[in-house]
Amino acid sequence: MFGDRWIREPVGIQWTGHSPVPVIGGIVATQPSASNCTIEQQRIGAIEVLSVAGVVDMLTASQLEDAIAAAGHHSPQGVIVDLGGVDFLASAGMGILVAARDELPSSVQLGIVADGPATSRPLKLVGIADLIGVYATLDQALAALTA
Amino acid sequence: MSASGKPCTSKQFARVDAAADPQSAAQIRREFSDWLGQHFTLDATRVSDMVLAVNEAMANAAEYAYLMAEQPGAMHVLASYDGLAASLTVTVTDEGAWRNADHVTPGSRRGRGIPLMQALADHATVDSSAAGTRVCLEWNCVAAARPHP
Repeated sequence: MFGDRWIREPVGIQWTGHSPVPVIGGIVATQPSASNCTIEQQRIGAIEVLSVAGVVDMLTASQLEDAIAAAGHHSPQGVIVDLGGVDFLASAGMGILVAARDELPSSVQLGIVADGPATSRPLKLVGIADLIGVYATLDQALAALTA
Repeated sequence: MSASGKPCTSKQFARVDAAADPQSAAQIRREFSDWLGQHFTLDATRVSDMVLAVNEAMANAAEYAYLMAEQPGAMHVLASYDGLAASLTVTVTDEGAWRNADHVTPGSRRGRGIPLMQALADHATVDSSAAGTRVCLEWNCVAAARPHP
């Protein structure tokens, strides 16, 4: 029904990388089933929180890039990328996080929630945890960004 | 498992002439992960490290190997286990022109694949020539799964 088009509505609550799932007011895209990424956005106080689940690789990293940019446009104090539901994080996804730090306005802090071998471990191994705060839980990230 | 009941000392995973593109890389990554789960006793960290390292090798082939070509070329993934040495070796090869620095866009988005592979594998080498590129990843102290009774 939706074919291979992106339909972008400004509601922007959920980005879904399924093939295909009709989402009223959201973004519908067809994606190969091997890489499935869902991103849910919510606002907690002055912080935009993006809850990411599934696979963040070459195929899905652009979804994350779009979601972070959209969150930044809401003029938050900070953006938290919660990778708690992520099974696999490729360097393509890590690059998006580093680029976001450079591209978000300097007034917007960036934090990452990650815990485990698939996410926090590679982020630490390549030194990204030295550039961007990586926290084991969302509560810790919120506390750090609102301190 | 052989007829004598002794565990096999060699196991192989091969994907030859796969398209060097992101979809193919994702599919092979999942199949490789399944193969690891079937044949080896590995903790979650080890599996994650292996799958990510192999993904990075394939991602580089998919992104860079055939930049100047009209259509994606092929990549070959071969994993073999040496039961006596308890080591797993994975090679990812392509026939393209990977790591030609002229084609790499500098910037914060790129450049972490090789450092990641070196950090995740016990030993990682990248050999490029005019004929293509071969990434070799090696892990030691890899235990085969116990045979089911």
